[in-house]
Amino acid sequence: MKLLVVEDESKMADYVRQGLMEAGFIVDLARNGLDGHMMAMNERYDLIILDVMLSGMDGWRILQAMRASGVQVPVLFLTARSSVDDRVRGLELGADDYLTKPFAFSELLARVRTLLRRGNAPTHHDRIQIADLELDLARRRATRAGRRINLTNKEFALLELLARRRSEVLPRSLIASQIWDMNFASDTNVIDVAIRRLRAKIDDDFEPKLIQTVRGMGYTLDIPDEG
Amino acid sequence: MRDRFTLFLRPASLALRVTTLVGIAMTVVFLVFNWISVRSLERHFAEMDQDELGVVSASVIRALGEVHSGADETALYHAVRGHHGVYYYVADAAGNTLYAAAGGPDLSRLVAHNDPVDLAGKREMTIWQEDGKFYRGTAVRVEGNAKGGGRTYVVAVAMNIGAHLAFLGSFRRMQWWAASIVMSIAILVAWLAVQWGHHPIRRTNAEIRKISSSKLDLRLNPADVPIELEELVASFNDMLARIEDGFVRLANFSADIAHELRTPVTNLTTQTEVALGQPRSAGEYREVLYSNLEELGRMSRMISDMLFLAQTENDRGNLRLTDVDLGELVKGVFEYFEAWAEDRRVSLQLLGLAGPVRADREMLLRALSNLVSNAIRHTPLDAAVTVKLVQDMSITTVTIENPGERIPAEVLPRLFNRFYRVDPSRQRKDAGAGLGLAIVKSIVEAHGGFVQVRSDDNSTIFTIVLPSPRGRDAV
Ligand SMILES: Nc1ncnc2c1ncn2[C@@H]1O[C@H](COP(=O)(O)OP(=O)(O)OP(=O)(O)O)[C@@H](O)[C@H]1O
Ligand SMILES: [Mg+2]
Repeated sequence: MKLLVVEDESKMADYVRQGLMEAGFIVDLARNGLDGHMMAMNERYDLIILDVMLSGMDGWRILQAMRASGVQVPVLFLTARSSVDDRVRGLELGADDYLTKPFAFSELLARVRTLLRRGNAPTHHDRIQIADLELDLARRRATRAGRRINLTNKEFALLELLARRRSEVLPRSLIASQIWDMNFASDTNVIDVAIRRLRAKIDDDFEPKLIQTVRGMGYTLDIPDEG
Repeated sequence: MRDRFTLFLRPASLALRVTTLVGIAMTVVFLVFNWISVRSLERHFAEMDQDELGVVSASVIRALGEVHSGADETALYHAVRGHHGVYYYVADAAGNTLYAAAGGPDLSRLVAHNDPVDLAGKREMTIWQEDGKFYRGTAVRVEGNAKGGGRTYVVAVAMNIGAHLAFLGSFRRMQWWAASIVMSIAILVAWLAVQWGHHPIRRTNAEIRKISSSKLDLRLNPADVPIELEELVASFNDMLARIEDGFVRLANFSADIAHELRTPVTNLTTQTEVALGQPRSAGEYREVLYSNLEELGRMSRMISDMLFLAQTENDRGNLRLTDVDLGELVKGVFEYFEAWAEDRRVSLQLLGLAGPVRADREMLLRALSNLVSNAIRHTPLDAAVTVKLVQDMSITTVTIENPGERIPAEVLPRLFNRFYRVDPSRQRKDAGAGLGLAIVKSIVEAHGGFVQVRSDDNSTIFTIVLPSPRGRDAV
């Protein structure tokens, strides 16, 4: 997967590139609007991360030029202002998602993955299996080591989210928004409590432990590395 | 500059308006007065002339009687005495001149042109000009009778009215002069009066000039200005109050942010410096980074909240209004907090029903969840948070009640302020920034409603009052 990051704040650009590369992407970096425009028009990317405020040519104009010439790459735009106008404008111009600064890198990564997945043909699984955990999505049932586990609706939804996005770090804000439709940060540890309860049901009595806490960032579900 | 371009487009100055109006009014009044006085003078002269001509013609007729009774025709020469500039003419019924005064106008023409009326009839006066002089005259027919000896005469009398006309002319001229002087004075006085009348405006202006951004607390005294300006001054004061409010808020806003960021930034700096002070193991570095990350997370949440607050306070029109089912919204909030509340052994209950309200769902959700999370946090073990919905005709009320310690009455008014926390120490692990209630307030007010809080020894109740759709339509 090849991404283009157009960002003129150099420290931020460097870290975003490093983070994305370490997450397994190939990343090109444009440090001003004009370069960004040229690269977006001339090369093929799977996704473009576009800062709105750029020197040379702002993000809106790049986006407009791309869409006008038929470049349909998904675009995630970054804005410093969370005003409704900005968001509406970005989405109207054909952006696919946005993030308001300040944001957490884990959030950015999760959004990037969501957008990339959206492009692919949706994989219709009826069941997901991770180690001895099995999810029957149609009947909304979970079993571990062959034992049926009783989950509430929300617990199942949470488990499904983690399982579908296996090995991705899901920030708390993303979980809150996907499962409970709460699209704002909360000062409570609601998500931690929910995860603890889920763990009690699917991990406490079993090995290996599947749900892992990524400190400071969020949660992920995967078979832990040996050693 | 700009002034020059607007010179011809802007409304005329007040001084010009008042002066012009006074000038026009004075002119009209004068013209009417002038017309009336000249007319009455003319009428007065006409009457005088008529009387005199009447006397003259009577003397002439009397003289005619004497002529007939045998006296010499010369009696006619002496018929009129003591009248200056008066002329007369006598003809018989056939139009033969019997007598014509010398030096006067040709009165035979007057007789010929006019049909002489009966002596008893009203005498028509004629004015004409002859040889550069003006005359007024009339002709009468004297029917033959006993006194006249049976003969019929036509008598024409006329007088030179040059003196009258000259008098009228000089009267007019004098009047014009007087009027011009009076009018000039009046206009000058009007202009002065306007300038004087504008003095309070200039003084008020000077006072307004004194108001700078550092002295926004200055107010004009409405009692110091004329009654006409009182309302203007009051409106100005109101505007000033609003500006001051916004200005102070903005200033506090910046001060608040700076102040609130100081602590976490100091923490971060200290932590990082100490960590770098000597070589450490990778695990220790990681520990520092994690701790920094937590602090940074709090900071960025605070910044986002501040931005959100600034936005809702600034453009209140930016709501995406839909019909929102409050019951469903509260259930969603409960579902979210359920596990957390259970963990704290707090139960949640919803009472009452309400129809849909026009609201921005996302925002209202945020407000409710802030209140519910606060309530859960302050509820003792094994107690319940109760949300109640009540719908009246024009308002919908949501109350969030939790048992718990009383919030001291003196801090209640400050509860909705930014960054206000009853217990300001950051001891609690999940201590917030103190923005939650400020956000609640700005959201509810953006919807045209208000929030209240009550607290006694048993419980604390937050109340959101929103206008109902029907109530709002009626407004
Ligand atoms: N239900 C309640 N009972 C008692 N005290 C309360 C209640 N709700 C709020 N308070 C007090 O009001 C203060 C301000 O609340 P607010 O929600 O604004 O801030 P916070 O919860 O501390 O932080 P934030 O919501 O920004 O994370 C709180 O610190 C708390 O002391
Ligand atoms: Mg709060």
